[in-house]
Amino acid sequence: MTVPELFVTFYNVFMETYKGFLEAGLLTIEITAIAVVIGTILGVIFALMKISNSKVLQTIANLYITLIRGTPLIVQIMFLYFGITSVIILENFWAGAIALGIHNGAYIAEIFRGSIQGIDRGQREASLALGMNSSQTMRRIVFPQALRRAIPPLGNQFIITLKDSSLVYVIGVSELFGVANRVAASNFKQFETFLVVGLYYLILVLIFTALLKWYENKLDVDK
Amino acid sequence: MIKAENVHKSFGKLEVLKGIDMEVHPGEVVVLVGVSGSGKSTFLRCLNFLELTNEGVITIDGKRVNQKKDDLAKVRAEVGMVFQHFNLFPHKTVLENVMEAPIMVKKVAKSTAKTTALEILEKVGLSDKADVYPNKLSGGQKQRVAIARALAMEPKALLFDEPTSALDPELVGEVLQVMKDLADEGMTMVVVTHEMKFAREVADRVIMLNEGIIIEDADPDTFFNHSTNERTRQFLEMVNV
Repeated sequence: MTVPELFVTFYNVFMETYKGFLEAGLLTIEITAIAVVIGTILGVIFALMKISNSKVLQTIANLYITLIRGTPLIVQIMFLYFGITSVIILENFWAGAIALGIHNGAYIAEIFRGSIQGIDRGQREASLALGMNSSQTMRRIVFPQALRRAIPPLGNQFIITLKDSSLVYVIGVSELFGVANRVAASNFKQFETFLVVGLYYLILVLIFTALLKWYENKLDVDK
Repeated sequence: MIKAENVHKSFGKLEVLKGIDMEVHPGEVVVLVGVSGSGKSTFLRCLNFLELTNEGVITIDGKRVNQKKDDLAKVRAEVGMVFQHFNLFPHKTVLENVMEAPIMVKKVAKSTAKTTALEILEKVGLSDKADVYPNKLSGGQKQRVAIARALAMEPKALLFDEPTSALDPELVGEVLQVMKDLADEGMTMVVVTHEMKFAREVADRVIMLNEGIIIEDADPDTFFNHSTNERTRQFLEMVNV
C-alpha cells in the first residue's frame, strides 16, 4: 500500500466511522468524568486517613493504596465488575466508571498526601496559634494551599484516567476503544481504524491539557 | 497572666528545657534572651502549647491548663503568637488573614470582623494593603500584618518568637515600633529577640536562658549594666552591647 492509498483509506474509514466514534467519545468523556469525581473524593478521604493520627485509619488507607497499586487495572475492572454485579444489578457503564474511580482514588490519595505534607509547618502552627482547631486548620488553611499545589499532578492523573478508560472495553462498554475494536473486526482495516481512534484520544488529551493550562494560569493570576 | 512552673521539655533524648519557672504579670513586657539552643523559642512555644511540655504546669490567666484534657484551641485563642517567618496565609488577602480567626473561632459576623480588621490594619499602618496578597508585601509589612492578625483575636497576651530575625535590617524598625506601641498600651508581651536595644528600652524584665534554665531575671538596667552573672556578661559581650 502506498502512502497516498493509505491516506485515502484512512480518510474513508474516518468518514465511515465518525458518527459512531462521536457517540463513543462522549461515553469516554462521561466515564472519565465520573471516575475523576469518584477518585478525587476517595483520594481526599484516604489522604486524610493516611496523615491522621489513628493507626487503624492509616492501616486501612495503606491497604487500599497497596492493593490498588499492586494489581493491574484490567484485573480490578474485571474483579469489581463481577463482584459488584453479583450483588446488585448495575450497567456495565457504571461498573466500569466506578472501578476506574476506585483505581484512581489510590493514586489521587498519594497526590493529596504529598501536597498536604508539602505545606510549610508554620501555616498549621499559625492557624492553631490563632485558636483554630485541627479541622478548621485543615479546611481553611492547609487544604486550599495543598489543592493548588496538587493541580499539576492531578491534571496528569486525569489524563492517565482518560486513556485508561479504554480498558473498560473488556466489560463491554461501547466507549472509543470498544467501538474501535468492533469496527476493526467488521471492516478488516485494523491499522486505519486504530489510527483514527488514537487520533480521537490525542485530541481529547490535548483539549484537556489546554483547559488545565488555562486553569493553572488563572490561579496564578489570582494569587 | 502567664505562669510557668517547673517546665521540662525533651525532644527524644535531648532535654531542651530543664525546669523553668516564670511568671508574667498583666501589662508586663518580658524579653527572653539567650544564645541559640538555649531553649528560649521552645519555651515560648510551650506557653502556647505548640509544644507540649513533658513535665510542669502552665497557668494562663489564672487557669491551670491540662494539656491532655483541655481544649487547647480555646486556650490558644486567648494568647496571640507572632512568628519569625510571619506564616501569613498566602491564599488569603491581608484583610482575610486578619478576619479569618475572629470569624472561624469567635463566630463574629463577617461585617463586624471586617470593620475591626480594618481598624487594626490602620493601627499598624497598613490599611492601604487590605486587599493585597501577602506575597506583594515587604518583610516588615508582612510581620505587621501578622501582628494585626494576632491582635484581631483580642488576646490577653502576645508571644513574639524572634519577630525581626528574618527581616532586612532597614525593616526592623517599623516592626519594633508597632511592638513598642503595643507595650505602651499595656499589652502583656513575652518576646524572644536579639534586639538588645528593644529589650533595654521596652522590657520591664529581661530573662536570660542558658542550656534550658533561667540564669538571670532582672530589670533592663540591672541586666545590661550591673549583671554579676558571668554567663550574662559573656553573652552581652558577644552581642556587643
